Amino acid sequence: MLKFLKQVVDYGKETAQAAKYIGQGLAVTFDHMQRRPITVQYPYEKLIPSERFRGRIHFEFDKCISCEVCVRVCPINLPVVDYEYDKATKKKKLNSYSIDFGVCIFCGNCVEYCPTNCLSMTEEYELATFERHELNFDNVALGRLPTKVTDDPMVTALRTLAYLPKDVMEPHDLPAGSQRAKSN
Amino acid sequence: MQIAEGVQLVTFGILSLLMLGAALGVVLFANIVYSAFLLGGVFISMAGIYILLNADFVSAAQILVYVGAVNVLILFAIMLVNKREDFKPLKNSWIRQGMTVVVCGGLFALLGSVSLVTPWKISTVMPLASSTVPIAKHFFTDFLLPFELASVLLLMSMVGAIILARRDFVPDTVTGITSTQDSLTLPERPRELAGK
Amino acid sequence: MNSGIDLQGTFIQSLSDFGISAELAKVFWMPFPMLLMIIGATVGVLVNVWLERKISAAAQQRIGPEYAGPLGVLQPVADGLKLVFKEDIQPAKSDPILFTMGPVLVVMPVFLSYLIVPFGQNLVITNINTGVFLWIALSSIVPIGLLMAGYSSNNKYSLLGGLRAAAQSISYEIPLALSVLAIVMMSNSLNTIDIVNQQADYGILSWNIWRQPVGFVIFWIAALAECERLPFDLPEAEEELVAGYQTEYSGMKFALFFVGSYVNLVLSALLVAILYLGGWSSPIPIDMLSNLLGVDPSTSWVQVVDASLGISMTLLKAYFLVFIAILTRWTVPRVRIDQLLNLGWKFLLPISLANLLITAALKLAFPTAFGG
Repeated sequence: MLKFLKQVVDYGKETAQAAKYIGQGLAVTFDHMQRRPITVQYPYEKLIPSERFRGRIHFEFDKCISCEVCVRVCPINLPVVDYEYDKATKKKKLNSYSIDFGVCIFCGNCVEYCPTNCLSMTEEYELATFERHELNFDNVALGRLPTKVTDDPMVTALRTLAYLPKDVMEPHDLPAGSQRAKSN
Repeated sequence: MQIAEGVQLVTFGILSLLMLGAALGVVLFANIVYSAFLLGGVFISMAGIYILLNADFVSAAQILVYVGAVNVLILFAIMLVNKREDFKPLKNSWIRQGMTVVVCGGLFALLGSVSLVTPWKISTVMPLASSTVPIAKHFFTDFLLPFELASVLLLMSMVGAIILARRDFVPDTVTGITSTQDSLTLPERPRELAGK
Repeated sequence: MNSGIDLQGTFIQSLSDFGISAELAKVFWMPFPMLLMIIGATVGVLVNVWLERKISAAAQQRIGPEYAGPLGVLQPVADGLKLVFKEDIQPAKSDPILFTMGPVLVVMPVFLSYLIVPFGQNLVITNINTGVFLWIALSSIVPIGLLMAGYSSNNKYSLLGGLRAAAQSISYEIPLALSVLAIVMMSNSLNTIDIVNQQADYGILSWNIWRQPVGFVIFWIAALAECERLPFDLPEAEEELVAGYQTEYSGMKFALFFVGSYVNLVLSALLVAILYLGGWSSPIPIDMLSNLLGVDPSTSWVQVVDASLGISMTLLKAYFLVFIAILTRWTVPRVRIDQLLNLGWKFLLPISLANLLITAALKLAFPTAFGG
């Protein structure tokens, strides 16, 4: 009998605890309701990518020496380096260079290892196309520079959290010339 | 009340037609799922006729018990055991059919004679405003025994269901195992195992 | 308790003055409250969808619908229009009749249940004695529609979702009915108007929630499960069942399910307001207020204020509960099917039975406080 009563009491306690936790959860949800939304209204507002952002890869045709290091360090040997050996100058002559961004994982190994720094990361991330083959960028497309978000008159550029002044969480309506918080 | 009586008559006609049609459908449809759904239709139109008889509580109980519980359980049973099997021609099936005809004919004769004998007088007693309280009074006075018996019956079936549901021993059907395994394997070419 | 405004009586009286017989006038009157209630319920759905989107957004620190109308209030209308104009797809191997009947059977009982929802002393479509019982009976038809939809789609996810929905709603109907029964025992009537009047004497102090706190919680949990709201939305659990019985539906038939579930939520909230939160009566009784101000409670403008206050009180209470439901949606994770059935059969059912028995005992012991 006593054992049964103890079971009942334990069950009651568990129930009360569960109810308490649900109440706490509701309090958290309710608390979130009065916080300011962190929404970035995307096509009209855009976040400024950080300086180490790994976006679409930029390629400088004239710097390339066709060494194929980028192909070797790539996890899937993605860059296509088309060159011929020029016997007169005893140098490789690059015909074309392409990277398929539908397959690229933006790991940045090619940029890291390129001996002449002809590869670099840009801040472009809007790569949507109507067909996946359009993502196969040749050396002309790779050589284009993206428009900066801050230069686009249609877009309100917003800073990401790390670039906001101290104790500011809200990128909208920053005073002009406000500096980012110093890292210690 | 001219309009009210007209509405009652038309409603009665529609409900009876619905009920008879649905009942015929229950019997005649080859698809058992249709029959089960139409059974719900029969129950609902029956509830409508109860409303016409000023028995609002009974009609609500009819919907709750028959449509909401019995019919849903029937549907559950059908949908969980939806095994499609072709009919095998039985030997001597005429005996069964003959028996069915005899039983159904007897039932029809019985009900027909009852309906002919009954005087069908239209009651002149004013209907009660609320039938709930008189029903409860009847349940706990002159109909106490059948009421309690029905609850004991339900309790028995509930206990039986619980015993069936938490049966601890598994009946060892040695013969059944091979057939179930056959039905569970996918139709594919038998592979040779690596050890062989 | 004053009788309040009798619109029906006034309407019939004014038509009779034109020489139309009283019963014909009643026939003319009948469509008005029904149409009003259907429109009201549909508008209630739109409001509910907007609230759901806005509150969900706020709980997740988003903005939610913003561009369609001020604060996005026209967004549900746009959603509805989209669903109306969408192609009505009928899967090739489905059962066409049952496929169409399913959503209809799900929506109809829910709209029918609005017959018994009172917004004031005379602001109810039918004042029938079986009130709440009729609602329970009607809501038991819904699983048949769900099973129909699940079966006719000819899709295993649909069938599983339909079976789950039916199992869920029949197992939660029992605690629901038992907790309603405790209320009915206290007010000695199944009639919704009697139930509200029974709680109207001392304002907020006489609401049933103080006398039936356990029943209130059980009713609310069971109502959430009946509406398939989030902690209990297993029949349409996206991760496992795609969309349950709604998987194959599109266009207006899907919209019927959608409307049905939201109307059901509003209906459940309204019924909680009526059964436990004093229905149309305001926290401070209006009679007391008018006596305090020295106004006769039977003057016409007090009556109008009383009626409109009653409607807004009922709606306010109902939408407060809807708000709680939406908040719960973003707080509590979905339960598993075994947890759901355990909660229903092993927890809610015994507790609601005990609640019923204790209510009966208290009624015998303290007949004045618990409706002798």
